[in-house]
Amino acid sequence: MTGINKWITHLTKNQVSIYPLVVFRIVFGILMFFSTLRFILKGWVHDLYEVPTYFFTYYGFDWVSPLPNPFMYVLFLLLLITCIFIIFGLFYRANTVLFFIIFTYIELIDKTNYLNHYYFISLISLLLILIPANSYFSLDVYFGICKRKKTIQAWQINIIKLQIGLVYFFAGISKLNYHWLLEAQPLINWLKHQSDFPVIGKLFLYDFTAYLFSWVSAIFDIFIFFLLIDKRSRWISYFVAFVFHIMTAIMFPIGVFPYVMIASTLIFFNDNFHKKIIYFISKYGLLNSSKSIEEKNNYQTKTNSVLKFFLIGFFTLQLFLPLRFMLYPGKLFWTEQGYRFSWRVMLIEKAGYSQFYIHEPKMDRKMLIQNRDYLTPQQEKMMSTQPDMILQYAHFLSKTFKDSCLVESNGEIIKMGRNPKITADITVSLFNKGSRKFIDSEKNLSEIKRGFGNKEWILDYED
Amino acid sequence: MNTRFLKFLYIFSALLIIQSCKKSGCTDPNALNYDIDAQKDDNGCLYEDYDKLSLLTNLADNYIIPSLDAYKSKIITLNIHVDSFIENPNISNLTLLRTNWEEALLNWQDIGFLDFGPSEYILLRKQTNTFPIDTTELNNFITLADWNLDYASSYDSKGLQALDYLLFKPGHLESELITYFQNNTNAKNYLKAVAEDLNQNINYVTNQWVTYREDFINDFEVTQSNFSTNSQGSSISNIINALCLHYEFYVRRGKVGLPLGVFNGFSQLELPELVECYYSGKSTQNLVRSINSLRKYVTGSSYLNNDNGLGLDDYMDFVNAEQSTQQLSTVIDNQFLTILDEVNNINGPLSEEIINNKSQITQTYQELQQLVPYIKVDMTSALGVLITYQDNDGD
Repeated sequence: MTGINKWITHLTKNQVSIYPLVVFRIVFGILMFFSTLRFILKGWVHDLYEVPTYFFTYYGFDWVSPLPNPFMYVLFLLLLITCIFIIFGLFYRANTVLFFIIFTYIELIDKTNYLNHYYFISLISLLLILIPANSYFSLDVYFGICKRKKTIQAWQINIIKLQIGLVYFFAGISKLNYHWLLEAQPLINWLKHQSDFPVIGKLFLYDFTAYLFSWVSAIFDIFIFFLLIDKRSRWISYFVAFVFHIMTAIMFPIGVFPYVMIASTLIFFNDNFHKKIIYFISKYGLLNSSKSIEEKNNYQTKTNSVLKFFLIGFFTLQLFLPLRFMLYPGKLFWTEQGYRFSWRVMLIEKAGYSQFYIHEPKMDRKMLIQNRDYLTPQQEKMMSTQPDMILQYAHFLSKTFKDSCLVESNGEIIKMGRNPKITADITVSLFNKGSRKFIDSEKNLSEIKRGFGNKEWILDYED
Repeated sequence: MNTRFLKFLYIFSALLIIQSCKKSGCTDPNALNYDIDAQKDDNGCLYEDYDKLSLLTNLADNYIIPSLDAYKSKIITLNIHVDSFIENPNISNLTLLRTNWEEALLNWQDIGFLDFGPSEYILLRKQTNTFPIDTTELNNFITLADWNLDYASSYDSKGLQALDYLLFKPGHLESELITYFQNNTNAKNYLKAVAEDLNQNINYVTNQWVTYREDFINDFEVTQSNFSTNSQGSSISNIINALCLHYEFYVRRGKVGLPLGVFNGFSQLELPELVECYYSGKSTQNLVRSINSLRKYVTGSSYLNNDNGLGLDDYMDFVNAEQSTQQLSTVIDNQFLTILDEVNNINGPLSEEIINNKSQITQTYQELQQLVPYIKVDMTSALGVLITYQDNDGD
């Protein structure tokens, strides 16, 4: 028992150098600055938050809605400013809190735009609030806002490492499925369109290459964390990670995610490595933090017990979420119940086509809904393959037509009643195996409650 | 590595494999190194590099450019006949003009789904074949002798469908129509303006294609930005997005669904006045033509002599796209044939058949509808194309 206790103390209470955390703060700030800037410059603030008239909110977060024009832009500008403050470590705590709130708020607006790396950024920024990444080489120290520290408690770095490790590990575990390993799906399809990839493109024409990539990436994801924490394999594993992420960046339109991972994993390197980076930066006189008083290393710093329980809860949840899919029956890739927030990256190739109908009360006449009238093409595309969004959209339609009177072209007036019936004809193709019916097209979707229960109206996937 | 070297490599390794172990090898008959004796697949199948350059070159040189040129020459002839009709409005000139208009419109059906690149830039489809026509606006233009066909608001008063109205004015016998034009200089001028506008638009497109062709076959935009071929802005993505959009919204919906009343609320009351060529009653033949040309285009056939070349169907086969255990390309082609069977059962103008023979048109619509998921879901996902008119990251 003492061995384990010692080990836990080593991982949590031990004093370790602050350098890796400082570099992490700076790199994270820079990356977030540029990815936010890229987002704005691509016009996505307008496309994703001003153009849509309906937003697919998360269950329990229906109160989140975008700000009116032009305040979404203001929010993004604020985000840029907080990034700069984080880079320089000025008013660090306030800015990480602000960054976390704004970023998470934006991501909660519409699940159409859900990406695993946005979720990752939300989590990391939450963790950053809790740790003193500004206690060295920062303007907070320079101005004496906080005390300078050369060492911190080990947990303050290890929670970041653990979070990164969980991402890789679960990304790897999620690849351990029949399609990925035994059919090399979806890579086998994707690689065939990549035969003009520089140098090795021709190899993508072999099925073997897709299998090789599938297996290697599964093994990579599962073991990379363990290889990164071991100093003997650190350089080589970082190199492998670097090559891996650069390749995915070139091959797939996944935005900044590869760069976020390349930069984040730097935190696994030792103090000396980070010390050199900091000296390199300070050589150019960007930040000089020598004058302030150094806080005495206080080995016995008490860790707030609220914080302790929060972190235990946080990581327990992180362990639970990726595995919650096991609570649902049916094929995960088909139903997508428990799919999000689980580090399932580039796992499925899915496309769908949906037609919604609103029914006349007490009659068997129905009217076809033009999805384009209510959704953007991107929203329609995402909704057509994801059952929770299908349900939300059906509820939205029902609400839109509730208690309304429609005048037909022949002058007939139709009263829609309190809860108009909505049905949908949806076909979905998974892994290019041919489109097939997705949900029970007779089911009145407006009567079904949202929630985490099993959606039994999704049809079984037949192989 | 070039293909020859790879071929050498596979022959060499195939020999080795055959010598060492006779049962394992490539079991896919579509592969280059298909091993007829192999009983167990070793995942070593080697496929011909799908030659996108040849596909795009074939589409550009054997379908797109010849079809644009053919349409253009019809429009030129149309203009000549407009001129002679204006000069001398009589029965024989009217008949000639009508025939030439009819042919130009049929040729339009061959290029309607090419709305990308230069055509998309000038909104060729909207400028050429918007229907129904706003006859009130059109008549106002003529009465007041005041029009500007460049305004987007004039798009539903011009184009081939405006000629449908002008040359087949409801309630006018041929002789009355001739009197109408004889006594109405404004109408003559408007007729000429519409024909010239058509000419100007297709001229722009064909001129642009002279230089655009290179960009198109070399996938210019994509090679500029990244290696994700078939991503947004790539030629494959452009042709497929244009194809799906045209088919779903302008053929299935515009030509049949809307007039049939499928989109008309709960009553689903027929709206026959929404058909293409409402005044001349030529809707059915144009529907047939557009389905035939779509099929021709998907199979990569030559516009002029129907010789089969590399098309989207071959690309689907290359990636082994399937739909209910059949090849997707076969399923799509069969669906085209089913649609043609249905359409060929329609014996009169759609505006009349929708009322008199509703079950046949409904049947036709259902078959048209059935093709939508095949091309919009199965084909696009097999070819790695995103059907989205928006730019975004994925994960």
